[in-house]
Amino acid sequence: MTASRSDGLPTPADLQADFRARGYVTGEALSTALRLVVALQKPLLLEGPAGVGKTEAAKTLAGVLGTRLIRLQCYEGLDAQAALYEWNYARQLLHLRAAEVGGARVDDDELYGERFLMARPLLQAICEDVSPVLLIDEVDRADDAFEAFLFELLAEWQITVPELGTISARTRPHVILTSNRSRELSDALRRRCLYHWVEYPSARQELEIVHARLPGVNAALARQVTDAVHALRQLPLGKPPGVAETLDWAAALLSLHRDHLDAPSIEATLGAVLKLREDQLLAAPTLRGVAAQTPGQD
Amino acid sequence: MSEPVPANLAARITAFAARLRTRHGFLIGPGEAADALRAAGAVELLDRRQLRDALRAVLTDRPEQTRSFDHEFNVFFRRDGEPPPPELPPLLSETGAPGAEQDPAATPRPPQGQEGQVPTPAPPQTGEEPELVPAPAKPQGKAADHPDDADGDLQTVQTRLSPNAGAGGAVHTAADDLNELLRAASALIRVVELGQARRLRPMARGPKLDARRTLRAAARTAGDPAALRWLGRPRRAPRFLLVLDGSRSMGKDATLLLRFAQALHLRSRRVEVYAFSTGLTRLTPHLRRTRPGQPLALPDLGEAWGGGTRIGENLLQLARQERERVNRDTVVLILSDGLDTGEVEVLERALRDLKRRAGRVVWLSPLAALPGYQPVQRAIRAALPHLDALLPAGGMDDLLRLGARLHRS
Repeated sequence: MTASRSDGLPTPADLQADFRARGYVTGEALSTALRLVVALQKPLLLEGPAGVGKTEAAKTLAGVLGTRLIRLQCYEGLDAQAALYEWNYARQLLHLRAAEVGGARVDDDELYGERFLMARPLLQAICEDVSPVLLIDEVDRADDAFEAFLFELLAEWQITVPELGTISARTRPHVILTSNRSRELSDALRRRCLYHWVEYPSARQELEIVHARLPGVNAALARQVTDAVHALRQLPLGKPPGVAETLDWAAALLSLHRDHLDAPSIEATLGAVLKLREDQLLAAPTLRGVAAQTPGQD
Repeated sequence: MSEPVPANLAARITAFAARLRTRHGFLIGPGEAADALRAAGAVELLDRRQLRDALRAVLTDRPEQTRSFDHEFNVFFRRDGEPPPPELPPLLSETGAPGAEQDPAATPRPPQGQEGQVPTPAPPQTGEEPELVPAPAKPQGKAADHPDDADGDLQTVQTRLSPNAGAGGAVHTAADDLNELLRAASALIRVVELGQARRLRPMARGPKLDARRTLRAAARTAGDPAALRWLGRPRRAPRFLLVLDGSRSMGKDATLLLRFAQALHLRSRRVEVYAFSTGLTRLTPHLRRTRPGQPLALPDLGEAWGGGTRIGENLLQLARQERERVNRDTVVLILSDGLDTGEVEVLERALRDLKRRAGRVVWLSPLAALPGYQPVQRAIRAALPHLDALLPAGGMDDLLRLGARLHRS
């Protein structure tokens, strides 16, 4: 990690270069937003279509900062207990029984001590000595109640365990929240976060990503694949292909030793890029057009 | 951590934040303005692009705001001698996806006092493509109220439908039957049974032992878990997606159903409402702004009201637009008479898509309330295999019975 500013924090340009070195091609706007996560110690909400690299951005940031990534995957029904901490009830019961047999008395302080506490991602994140990257992934999948709980945590950076008291953060984690907009997030949560909309990369950026992630790929094939994916994203597809699909498609073609896209190779690998039968039918004319074109020259 | 921002730039950034708040309705308070200054201090101030990216990350919270933000930034932080940025291209009249809350003042309206000059539309033909005709731009929003502020940068166009489409126009409804509609809405919400939530809650009975409460109880009996406590799954709360046919053939029924949508919205926050005629418009932001008990007044809904019918195309657009939000907790209520000359294949595809994702798909038709009604219209016949129920919606009585009928169906 390089740092050219007096505050010792990575500049956007440094971040961009470090991300690129790890195979993540990012624009300036995202690297500036990530710089602010570190400088302002505010959470960053990343929104955008599925498969544009929101989660990957958090993982890469952890790599670039040389710190631990702690991930909380949100889902319907996730509650504070599963995200924060749980007591090891089995061990507590055994301890109670053993004490009873031995004639000893067990008080609450002993029963609810740290030895029986199992830290879940959020508690882990505030107990780290070095600021970790805390990824709260797909926060839109959690329900409203969890979201409300979350913004209290993000504002105070402390957790109250009724039996233990309040645990304040040793260091503030660098928090990245991601959302696919499957549910509208509250204004209250948005106001506590920096915000960046991650768009599909440009054709040039996506080509760079393919080359960065699949160094062995033929240049003409990479261009054809990225051009074809961009053409597909213009169609009203149910599930437009993300960057992950572009990489999967290129990798599938690579494994079949293809050096350009033609009708048979498209047919053989279509499932890597379009995951709905209706989308495949809808895209057939576009893909026929792609197959008919001569491979582009670099 | 951040470097101090020069006083003159700090003042400009503060004024910039205030302008975004007052002119574009951004949620910017003192905290956000202070963060903007800190963010500016954390990037290279001489790099205009970095400054813009940093301020955008702090001051916006939705993708729809990017356009206004970038334009204002280019106006505010223009270098000396740099030509002014081009005017923003016109906004479309249709509302975007949830989250794309529009400023009510930003909805294109016919200019006051000029309505009589609009050519009278010829009788419409269903399914005709509307045609967008650019009209002279005029300042919008507050500019109209404050002549001194008339140098608005956002320009609008008047959206005129082709003579073959409907007249559109503002929608006003009375509120005298709100109580009954609220009763109908409550009954509907009460009876919808979609199954159980995944989230476990302490309950008297349930499938999983509540170890925490059981242990608490066991501590009182020397570690013997004599009194077991349970976690159960409560009923899943439904979301409603209402799609309202606002075409001319729906006439008065559409207004009643619109008020019903408002009542449902007042009873549950998990309601999305769309209206369609030749085009599709999201109404939820308008309903949210209407205070309970006040008559519902919507701005000109353009293609979504009073025009021809394009059920299939609009439902398909809706299915795609709402794809991520329609899930097994969603009850889709389509309120339409089904009189459509469009392609039934498109309608089938849209309904198949909705049915696959939604908890229930219910079609409410005013025609179904007529004695001896047979679902023989092309659209209804094509839709039937994909519906959980086709129910009448001819008046208040039908709406009051809706909950019970849905429960039986």
